[in-house]
Amino acid sequence: MELSGVFKYLYELLANSGLPPVWVDLISLIAAALIVFAFLAVTALFLVWWERKVSAHIQQRFGPMRTGWHGWLQTIIDMLKLIQKEDITPATADRPVFFWAPIIALTAAFAAYVVIPFGKGLIVSDLNIGVVFIIAITTFTIISLLMAGWGSNNKYALLGGMRSAAQVVSYEVPMVVAVLSIVVFAGSMSMMDIVNSQAKIYQWYIFRLPFGPIAFIIYLIAGTAETNRTPFDLPEAEQELVAGFNVEYSGMKFAMFFFAEFVNLFTVSAIATTLFLGGWQGPFLPSWVWFMGKTLFMVFILMWFRWTYPRLRVDQLMEFSWKFLLPVSFANLVLAGFMKYSKWFNW
Amino acid sequence: MIKLISAIKNLVVGLITTGKHLGRHAVTVQYPTERWEMPERSRGIVVLLSDKETGALNCTTCLLCERACPTAAIKIVYDKDEKGKRILKDFIVDHGLCCFCGLCEEACNFAAIKMATKYEFSTFDKNDLVWHTDKLQEVGRDVPYEKPERKKPEVKPAAPKAAPKPAATANPSPVMQPSPAENKPGITDKIDPQEGK
Repeated sequence: MELSGVFKYLYELLANSGLPPVWVDLISLIAAALIVFAFLAVTALFLVWWERKVSAHIQQRFGPMRTGWHGWLQTIIDMLKLIQKEDITPATADRPVFFWAPIIALTAAFAAYVVIPFGKGLIVSDLNIGVVFIIAITTFTIISLLMAGWGSNNKYALLGGMRSAAQVVSYEVPMVVAVLSIVVFAGSMSMMDIVNSQAKIYQWYIFRLPFGPIAFIIYLIAGTAETNRTPFDLPEAEQELVAGFNVEYSGMKFAMFFFAEFVNLFTVSAIATTLFLGGWQGPFLPSWVWFMGKTLFMVFILMWFRWTYPRLRVDQLMEFSWKFLLPVSFANLVLAGFMKYSKWFNW
Repeated sequence: MIKLISAIKNLVVGLITTGKHLGRHAVTVQYPTERWEMPERSRGIVVLLSDKETGALNCTTCLLCERACPTAAIKIVYDKDEKGKRILKDFIVDHGLCCFCGLCEEACNFAAIKMATKYEFSTFDKNDLVWHTDKLQEVGRDVPYEKPERKKPEVKPAAPKAAPKPAATANPSPVMQPSPAENKPGITDKIDPQEGK
C-alpha cells in the first residue's frame, strides 16, 4: 500500500506520452502542488473539527453533534458559510496591505509542505537545505500577521500583530537552535536524510539521550508559540484584544487566516514527527500511515496543551524565551556536537 | 532549580487532570432529544391537581395561595352559592409573573396546587403565559402527588372544645392522649413526618 508507487507510475505514464520534458516536469509539479493543497485543505477542515471535539471532551461537553456522525460535516458547512459571507474592507484600511495579508499567510503555510516527507518517496522536492527552507518559509507568517494588524487600521489588530511579531521572532531563535542540534547529529539538512538516519526506533532523535528529549521539548514549546496557540496565544488574546490581528477580517479572508493557523499546526507537528519521531519510519503499516499517525498524535498533544494551560503575560513570555529557552537550547547544541564528534551514544 | 522542577511537575499535573477529564463521559445532554430527569421536588410550572378517582379539582377556593403569592401571579375568580360557600369560576396563573418560589404549594392545605417538574412552556406571546383553569388542570393531570392526611388539623379546631371532657375521663389508652395535645400547631406536624423522608 505504498503510495509512492502510484505516483511513480503516473509520472512514467506522463513521461512516456511524448510531451517535451519541460512540460512533463511542469505538469507533474503542478499536479503535486494540487495534491498537497487538496490534502491540506481536507486536513485543515478535519483539524478544526477535531480541535472542537478534543476541547469539548476535555471540558466534558459533546462539541458539534448535529451535522452528520458526531458532527463531522460541521466544518465543511462552516466553510461554505464563510465563502458566502460578505467580504468587508474597513473604510480606513490600507487596502493592498489588507488584501494581501491573508494570502501571504496561507501561501507561507502551504509552501512549507514542499519539503515535508509524507512517506517513503512521498516528497514534493527533497531540497538539500530542507530544514533552512522550512524555517525561512514559516517565518513569513510574521509578516502576514504584521500586515494584517497594520492594514486593518484598528488598535486591537495592530497590538495583536505587534505582539505576534515579537513573539514569533523570540521563539524562532530557540526553535532553530533546537533543530540545529538534530541537523548536527544527522549531518544533513535534507528532510529525507534526517528521516533515513532514524531507521530503528532507538535511533529516533527523541530517544537519543540526553540531547534528544531536551531538543524535542524546546521545539515543542517554541512550536506552540510559533502557531500562536495557548499558552502563547497573546496575539489573539480574546479577553484583551477582542480577536487580535484578524478582528477586521470577515468571510473568506478570515477563513484563510483560520486555515493558515491550522495548517501551521499541522506543519509544526509534521516537522516534529520528521525530526524527532522518525518521520515515516515504522514496521508493518505503510509509511504514510505511520507519518499521519505520528503527526496526528503530535497535533493531539498540542491541542491538549491548548486546553490545559492558561495564557502567559508578555513579560513572562519574553523572559521565558530569552532567559531560559535560548541558553538551554545553545547548551544542548554544544552537547549534541560534543556527542557527535566524541562518538558517545553514537548508535 | 527547585522552582523549575516544581513548575514542570505542575505542568504535568495539569496535563494529567485534563487527560482524565478527556476520558470521562460528557456531563451535558443533547437537549431536544434527551432531557434531564428533573428532581422530584424541583419547582417548574404551577399546575392544579385533580382527584385521581373523580377527576375533579382538589381546589376548595380557599384563596390561601392567592394571598401567599408574593408576585400576585395567582388570581382566583369565584362566585358564592346560596350558603355563602365559594365556587371556583376561574383559576388564573400568570407564569410571566411567577417567581417559582413555591409558597402557593406550601400554603395549600388540600394538595390542589403544585409546582410540577415540567419546565418547557416558552411561547412567542407573553399573553400565552397566562394559564386558566382548564390548561392548569390538563397539565397537572399526570403530575404525581400524595394527598396529605388533612384530617387531624381539620378536626383540631373543634377538638379543644369538645374533646377535653371525654379524653380526660374515658380515653382507654393513655399513650394516645398526649400526642394530639403536644403538637399543637398544624405547621410543625406537617413538616416533620413528610418532608423528613
